[in-house]
Amino acid sequence: MEPLIAIKDLIVSLPPGADRAHAVDGVSLSILPNEILCIVGESGSGKSLTAHAIMRLLPRGVSASSGEILFEGTDVLRLSPSAMRKLRGAGVAMIFQDPMAALNPVVTIGKQITEQIRAHRAISEKAALEQAAGLLAEMGLKDPKALLKSFPHQLSGGQRQRVMIAMALSLSPKLLIADEPTTALDVTTQAQILKLIKRIQTERQMSVLFITHDFGVVADMADRVAVMRHGRVVEEGGASDVLGDPKHSYTRALIAAVPRGESMLQPVAQDAPLLSVKDLAKNFRRGGFFSGASAVKAVDRVSLTLSRGETLGIVGESGSGKSTLARCVIRLLDPDAGEMLFDGADIAHMGERQLRPLRRRIQMVFQDPFSSLNPRQTVGEIVIAGPRAYGEDMKEARSRAADILRLVGLNPETMHRFPHEFSGGQRQRIGLARALMLKPDILIADEPVSALDVTVQAQVLKLLDDVRQQMNLAMLFITHDMRVAAQVCHRVMVMRHGQVVESGPTREVFAAPSSEYTRSLLAAIPGRGKLASV
Amino acid sequence: MKDFLRVFFSRPIPLVGLVIFAVIVALALLAPLLFGRGPFIIVGMPLLPPGAPGLLAGSDVLGRDMAVGLAYGARISLLVGITSTLCAVGIGVLLGAVAGYYGGWLDDLLMRVTEFFQIIPSFVLLMVLVAFLQPSLSSTVIGIALVTWPQVARVVRGEFLSLRGREFVQAARTLGMRDARIIFTQVLPNALPPIIVVGSMMVGSAILTESALSFLGLGDPNLLSWGSMIGGSRSAMWVAWWTTVLPGLAIMITVLALNFIGDGLNDALNPRRRR
Repeated sequence: MEPLIAIKDLIVSLPPGADRAHAVDGVSLSILPNEILCIVGESGSGKSLTAHAIMRLLPRGVSASSGEILFEGTDVLRLSPSAMRKLRGAGVAMIFQDPMAALNPVVTIGKQITEQIRAHRAISEKAALEQAAGLLAEMGLKDPKALLKSFPHQLSGGQRQRVMIAMALSLSPKLLIADEPTTALDVTTQAQILKLIKRIQTERQMSVLFITHDFGVVADMADRVAVMRHGRVVEEGGASDVLGDPKHSYTRALIAAVPRGESMLQPVAQDAPLLSVKDLAKNFRRGGFFSGASAVKAVDRVSLTLSRGETLGIVGESGSGKSTLARCVIRLLDPDAGEMLFDGADIAHMGERQLRPLRRRIQMVFQDPFSSLNPRQTVGEIVIAGPRAYGEDMKEARSRAADILRLVGLNPETMHRFPHEFSGGQRQRIGLARALMLKPDILIADEPVSALDVTVQAQVLKLLDDVRQQMNLAMLFITHDMRVAAQVCHRVMVMRHGQVVESGPTREVFAAPSSEYTRSLLAAIPGRGKLASV
Repeated sequence: MKDFLRVFFSRPIPLVGLVIFAVIVALALLAPLLFGRGPFIIVGMPLLPPGAPGLLAGSDVLGRDMAVGLAYGARISLLVGITSTLCAVGIGVLLGAVAGYYGGWLDDLLMRVTEFFQIIPSFVLLMVLVAFLQPSLSSTVIGIALVTWPQVARVVRGEFLSLRGREFVQAARTLGMRDARIIFTQVLPNALPPIIVVGSMMVGSAILTESALSFLGLGDPNLLSWGSMIGGSRSAMWVAWWTTVLPGLAIMITVLALNFIGDGLNDALNPRRRR
């Protein structure tokens, strides 16, 4: 069969001064009609730039310097700008990782979809709107007529991604490029979107180029797989071949890094709990003036206990109240009711002055590796800021900082560098070092790996577990990903709408979930049971 | 720092501004050495045109050397411009930081106070203040600082509002840092770029304001400034253009140079323009 698109010896060069000359270094790939090709790789592998090169949407300074991209026989790289515009949308369409950033916040959904349709086809606004409503219905969205009139911020993340897909499909393209379309979504929403893309691909018999870093997703989606590393394709083949019998060692490492959602950890013997939370509640007030204030119960009478040396996972989708709970425990938020006994003292309603000496004993690792470190301070300054706030001697703090940096796997010589010189995984290590400098009893990890590639995830999770053992920490681990929870948590607590749905030892919850909701979370794990054990 | 200098000097405008400003500062600093007798000494006939023997810039209505007046005037203009801006930035940063960091009723209260200063015509308020305090160098500085701090406070508050929600600020709280420490060591350094840009522009407008006050006779009567030179010579405007045009040009060039510098700082401190 003739391929729909054939990439031949593509080289994408980076501007002078970058860490390497070519982001994409001689890649040849082809996609047949009615086929899903997954490109897998870590960040920096060149997988996204390969996809962007097809759309000729490379960032400034980056260019496709040689090779060809044949779309139905014509070389995309040599098309005139006006021919390229015709191809975009009608021939090839693209969806992105962050649907909020890709949608215009001040224009209604309906207007954004019809604008694209009418830019390519001479039809009336009314006809275009009808077509848009049909598309939204096809995406499984309820009440498309009302949706057309709403603005992007009124939609959930999953709805926005569905709208993006509807827009991409509005001109019936032959190829859909999906660039990490589910990375910013919850696991359950991810499962729905993946299912949707698969269904539409079959119905419309189009080709899909799917970019991801997660082999679990590949297992669910791909007909064929190409594994990329450092701008080259290291392995390519049918999905079952690559997944079942990976040839290249790098592919094997990537597959091995995918958490399986099978718990290995035995529950820790419960002695007297270090922290015991009882009936904790936190409400947020919304609106007011005109609409009448309404309270949202973000955390609704939650109780938990945490002992030394154990990790308690709190699992839930966004909006489940898991992060609010964590922020109440560390007292970044003030709980409305309930008690939190920490080492005998109730810290739920303690004043800031009394709380201060206790603060150092509960520390946190934050979600976003980019905003959690002060961009204007060096790593050294960031790490010793805590001890310095408690009056520790500068010299001593510095020497301890070197030890802690070594413990988290960073070279202490990097202390004078600034955060932007580090990768996401390294930044999370710095954040962990900052927390450990205060010798805490409890470590709260708020989605510490959700912004990281799968392989880096595995490393950071292992580090967290090692540190917990070495320092005999009690860890509260917040995540939306059941697979991750399975890997590091002794016990899990599933939250929904601010309430605890289910809790127990991880093994038991995974083996025999008692609630419907937990079952749906487990079912949403991508690639479950389809990956080879390597 | 290297990035900063590279971007700052990548366009000619900031460089031109910096050179002009350096010349004016040098002139102001060296005035007592160059013209030891001071600006009030009468050196010859009144209203001699520029280029008359020994008079580079002519003489004014009382026969004083205009060149000496311009050099000494620069001292006053720069002194007032810089000190009043420093005071205004000090007040503005403090109030804006507190309002933005704590939010809530404190923010409401401080912003209403800020608005109170913003809704009164500022020059009228300034004239009343200076007249009330007796015209002098310090009353001019205090007056200008009091009417200009609200713009700094607004900018700083906005920056603090957005920065306080960032995770590194939350992390600082969980580390047990005191609020003052968080405000000054964590948040403020990240809010500095816009403050520096606003400050550099404010020096220029403070110089203009001082000139306007002096023109109206509300400056320090014992000091000669560019504004008071124009004010004192306005009766001779039609017969001796240089008596008003030269100090006017001095004001214009200085303010322009400061705005050029501010423009360059704006680019150089904007992280999107770097790299």
